[in-house]
Amino acid sequence: MLQSHGFFVLLNASRCFYKFCKTCPRSFVNICCVCPPLISRTMREVKAKSAFGLCTAAAGGESNIQDSVSVSKDRSCSSSSVISTPELEKKYVHRVYDAIAPHFSSTRFAKWPKVATFLNSLPSGSLVLDAGCGNGKYLGLNPNCFFLGCDISPSLIKICADRGHEVLVADAVNLPYRTGYGDAAISIAVLHHLSTEKRRKKAIEELVRVVKKGGLVLITVWAVEQEDKSLVTKWTPLSEKYVEEWIGPGSPHIRSPSSPTLESIPETEENGMGECVKESKEKSTDKLWESLCLPSQSEDNLAVSKDEKAINNQQEYFVPWHLPYHRAEVSGASASALANGLAKKDDKKGAVVYNRYYHVFSAGELERLTSDMNNAVVVDRFYDKSNWCIILEKTSA
Amino acid sequence: MRLLTHNMLSSNIRGVTNGIPLRIEAEKVIEKQVGFNPDFLKNMFSKIEWKALVDASRSLGYSELPEEAPESSSVESEEFLRKFHHALLELHLDEGALVCPETGRKFPVNKGIPNMLLHEDEV
Repeated sequence: MLQSHGFFVLLNASRCFYKFCKTCPRSFVNICCVCPPLISRTMREVKAKSAFGLCTAAAGGESNIQDSVSVSKDRSCSSSSVISTPELEKKYVHRVYDAIAPHFSSTRFAKWPKVATFLNSLPSGSLVLDAGCGNGKYLGLNPNCFFLGCDISPSLIKICADRGHEVLVADAVNLPYRTGYGDAAISIAVLHHLSTEKRRKKAIEELVRVVKKGGLVLITVWAVEQEDKSLVTKWTPLSEKYVEEWIGPGSPHIRSPSSPTLESIPETEENGMGECVKESKEKSTDKLWESLCLPSQSEDNLAVSKDEKAINNQQEYFVPWHLPYHRAEVSGASASALANGLAKKDDKKGAVVYNRYYHVFSAGELERLTSDMNNAVVVDRFYDKSNWCIILEKTSA
Repeated sequence: MRLLTHNMLSSNIRGVTNGIPLRIEAEKVIEKQVGFNPDFLKNMFSKIEWKALVDASRSLGYSELPEEAPESSSVESEEFLRKFHHALLELHLDEGALVCPETGRKFPVNKGIPNMLLHEDEV
């Protein structure tokens, strides 16, 4: 393949087209540049003949063309399918990101150098799959590659689409892609939102499945070992019992009246990756740590006391997100979140406090999840800025 | 949604053995020009399921692609590459649906974004 110099840009048509032509080096003009008069024919709407009406009932009984993300029905006990989303993730990952998407996106702009290096090292013309792309921070980072992003949050995907990226709403645990199509895949700060080891493994298998033989996969996840240890004290540790059994619909304990612990945790939007923090951090104190121990340990108490579990074995957490009131009003989702007990108000900070579920990874855990894969090998592993990272290469189709 | 994307999508409903290609129901199609990159096109040519691309482009109103899968030497023809480029990257399904070939289940496409999430009973 020819070495290219950034001549493949996939942004808003007229804007990027012009930029492309301006930056196109002379020597490449004859192969890369199509520079017609710009503005006049960038967009043309073509109405295609549709063979079927919008609401044709099809064999599967599906007649609704609207966004069809379903809310869980009233089902007892666990689903045997690893692909079925646990309630814990629906409440404390999916709904939270949908509610905070624009605010979250505004804090996600710094490109992590290690990810940039990986993407820029890919051969020109590569098809790169970003599973759990969030606000699309990495989409298009290498202008010589074509990026396809997916995320489970329609709100985040909308932000990506508004920026001109090619994206879809999908589940990282069950990617809707054909096997072996991509040239590379990335999963940046995603797998730590999956609440069971089986699901985390499945997501890794999916990443490997969708790339070609020889294709590379970069995975990064939050580490137990955070560089800023005071950060961890701002998180709410969850008991493993709570997480493992949390599969049924409805949560009486999430609806409990405001737990003193959550109110007293100082706010932060830090994620251990050195992102720009808008609010200042408060230092942890002994008093604060005491307040994490609930006075009455009810049977289904979700927080652990300091005595129950050494903090360095603890891997399940709720990490707070403070959504400023003016942002919360705009999104509209917060009213119902507050009513459902999914979020709480912090008048002092003027913010609605959401909790995001995380399973943070211990040293070697990410690699252990890949040890029984027979179609991929680890080609690199490293720790960087409080994240564990791994690069896999697919070894057989 | 571009046809490049469509070409790699598969219905992943539980029990479905042949989830490709998804049939397109087009309600609104948009064209957006984008930079021509022969390297990328040549890379993609080797991956593309040709018949799926031809059928998809026709459902979006474009019939310039040859019905039969072209020889690999076709990628040396700029005329061919430009048609391939146009179909693959410049046609967008803005509103419509992608239909599972086995179950008929429709995955909606709104504002160019396909929603491939499954319902509880499909996993």
